[in-house]
Amino acid sequence: MSETDRTRGISRRHFLNGAGALTAAGWIAGFTGGWVLRPRWAHAAGPIKMGIATDITGAIAPSGNANWQVAQFAVEQINTAGGILGQPIELHLEDTASDPKIAVGNVRKLIQERKVDVVLGGITSAMRQAIKDPIVNRGRTLYIYPQLYEGQECTKFLFNTGPSPAQQCDRLIPYIMKTLGKKRFAMPSANYVWPQLLNKYARKVIEANGGEVVFEEYYPLDQAEYSATISKIKDGKVDCVFNTVIPPGLQPFVKQLYESGFQKNGGVLSCVYYDENLLNYHPAAEMEGLISCLDYFQAVDDPFSKTLQQGYAKKFPDTKYLFTAGSASTGMYRGVKFYEEAVKATGGKLGREEVAAALDHAVLKEGPGGGAAMVPGHYHAKMNMYIAVCKSEGGKTRYDVIDKADMVDPREC
Amino acid sequence: MDVPTTRAAAQARKVRGSNKLRFRVLPIVEVVTFLLLLAAPFILAERTALVTLMTNIVILSVFAISFDLCWGFSGIMSFGQALFFGAAGYVVALVGRDLDFSQLLGTLPLALLVGGLLSAALAAFLLLGRKTPTSIFLAFGTLTGAYAAERLVSGWQYVGAGNGLSSIKLMAFGSFEFVEGPAFYFVALAALVVVYAGSRVLVRSQFGLVLAGMRQNEERLAFFGYRVQMFKAVMFILAGMIAGLSGALYSYHQGFTGPGNLGPGLSTTAVIYCLFGGSGTLIGPVLGTGAIELLSYVLADTDAIRQFWPVILGLVLLVVVMFQPTGLLGLIVSARERIGSFGLRRQAR
Repeated sequence: MSETDRTRGISRRHFLNGAGALTAAGWIAGFTGGWVLRPRWAHAAGPIKMGIATDITGAIAPSGNANWQVAQFAVEQINTAGGILGQPIELHLEDTASDPKIAVGNVRKLIQERKVDVVLGGITSAMRQAIKDPIVNRGRTLYIYPQLYEGQECTKFLFNTGPSPAQQCDRLIPYIMKTLGKKRFAMPSANYVWPQLLNKYARKVIEANGGEVVFEEYYPLDQAEYSATISKIKDGKVDCVFNTVIPPGLQPFVKQLYESGFQKNGGVLSCVYYDENLLNYHPAAEMEGLISCLDYFQAVDDPFSKTLQQGYAKKFPDTKYLFTAGSASTGMYRGVKFYEEAVKATGGKLGREEVAAALDHAVLKEGPGGGAAMVPGHYHAKMNMYIAVCKSEGGKTRYDVIDKADMVDPREC
Repeated sequence: MDVPTTRAAAQARKVRGSNKLRFRVLPIVEVVTFLLLLAAPFILAERTALVTLMTNIVILSVFAISFDLCWGFSGIMSFGQALFFGAAGYVVALVGRDLDFSQLLGTLPLALLVGGLLSAALAAFLLLGRKTPTSIFLAFGTLTGAYAAERLVSGWQYVGAGNGLSSIKLMAFGSFEFVEGPAFYFVALAALVVVYAGSRVLVRSQFGLVLAGMRQNEERLAFFGYRVQMFKAVMFILAGMIAGLSGALYSYHQGFTGPGNLGPGLSTTAVIYCLFGGSGTLIGPVLGTGAIELLSYVLADTDAIRQFWPVILGLVLLVVVMFQPTGLLGLIVSARERIGSFGLRRQAR
């Protein structure tokens, strides 16, 4: 490649083709196996190979696709700015298909066939648990997990860039109790590991603040009938529903709760994985007054976050996969940037031990919702947390940010 | 009359039609397959992912053989082989997690035991009852067993419920731990060779002659005084043990096991491997597994095909059953040779 040809960044045409197809068809696969986005220019040491393992298909494909787009967006920014110390990043994607059984095989391809230097991805906790072994133990590769989750993941070489239960609950629950004056909580939940551990933590916070958990119940993920739950909420005089039911059971539950007049009678619905993507699952009226606590909302008034959103919108115009916090996208962005910082700190060395050592105390000055910093020795990151309330106006929904906490400690590990 | 008997009768007619002793193809197929499998890791040395794929093929071949022993040799349409496969997989995973033990000399025999015990329990219920079971009863009985197991496990927190068990302790020999790669491959290949050779000796022995007779005419054998159902039960238990062995190896190799590994889905996959390759031949299931797994590896990355892959598999099975009931192997091996000859009669010739 000639010197003049060394346009910084991924080949424009190549990239637009990819992006066009992505927005048109969601995603297309390369015929050589998986999907690779190559940088335009080369470096003597070769590109840094970054593996993305996320749910492009299956039940949580909307979040997975958002993750993949954010990864492309973040990597393109880095490559456009000259790569990491001159070394470009090459992106490798494997679909985890919302199914751990398939994922284990596909993730191994990233490790064994593509020989990536780092893997980012996995959304559900089931997925993280399934793929961390092939990545970290058997694959001897660094793993960055981007989603908010139930905590207690302290595996060496596994870094978490999403919020922990402490970050989500420690401020939100006292806010609901002190400012809104709600004392009686109900915890309807989907039956899997994340709600169970999150509820355990939330219950502690509620009880420490003098509140009461009226009931904590677990339902099959696809349950569609909640009248028994609703009447318990009524009979128990519950004034705050701390919901961890997830789709597909979520929509009928929220609908039935709304129709029972819970919100009208002063009840508060709170749901800590709710971002802008999820509001679209429901009619606007049902969302009025919903309280969520996340590391970023699009309404956050921060110039850097605004620029990010503009860049993302430009790269993926009209995409239905938004750059939001609840679907691991902000964690993905932070993961990519943390990795960049770490490699800069090692002077371009990509060995797992060296990068992990640098990652351990990496700091981001800016990011969606503000900066973030890894807590040394704890595999989790400090970040700003926001409490937001949903407002619906004329059939449209938006979040109003009502509280911000700076650099909240994850209190994990 | 049930299906295996009439099918066997038709094959027997064909055999009688061709009286000449022919050139034997089967041993050549076996030797070539074995040599190819032996050479594979050396040819693929640098491509770790392909060695991993080959290891999976070898392990699943063992699983397919277990189904062949049921259907091809004893006329039991077992839709429950995955039950033994998955249960043994879960047991070795749990032993690794709770007892911190994964020595292959201990856990692989344990897997045989688990598969054997479960299949014995199922055989006692399905085969050794007062009434002689029909093949439909057996098919549904085994299918129900697998389905029930899958549902049970997916709601049971201790075994990981719907999440399954991950980060399974690596299989070990002494202080050597097996990750994916050539070493693991050769362990799997050794298992395949032992299982294959053992099964081969068994089905060509006097015991196998009784099985062949049963396939011809079950009632007649019963009148001769053979306890036909007992013979079937023995084969079913053996097959269960073999399925257990492959399930344990699979769990260790994948480092993950989930409810799907216990259910009718995987059971049916074994049926497809076997029928596609050619049932009642032992080597057929190995070839069938290889062909299907290689194809799905190549095609899995093409989105347009991946969506329809199960449909394509179904169609392939339909075509095989309708037009080539003897499977891939039937194309090159004669009916006479597939059924084989037994003991003294051959020596007398």
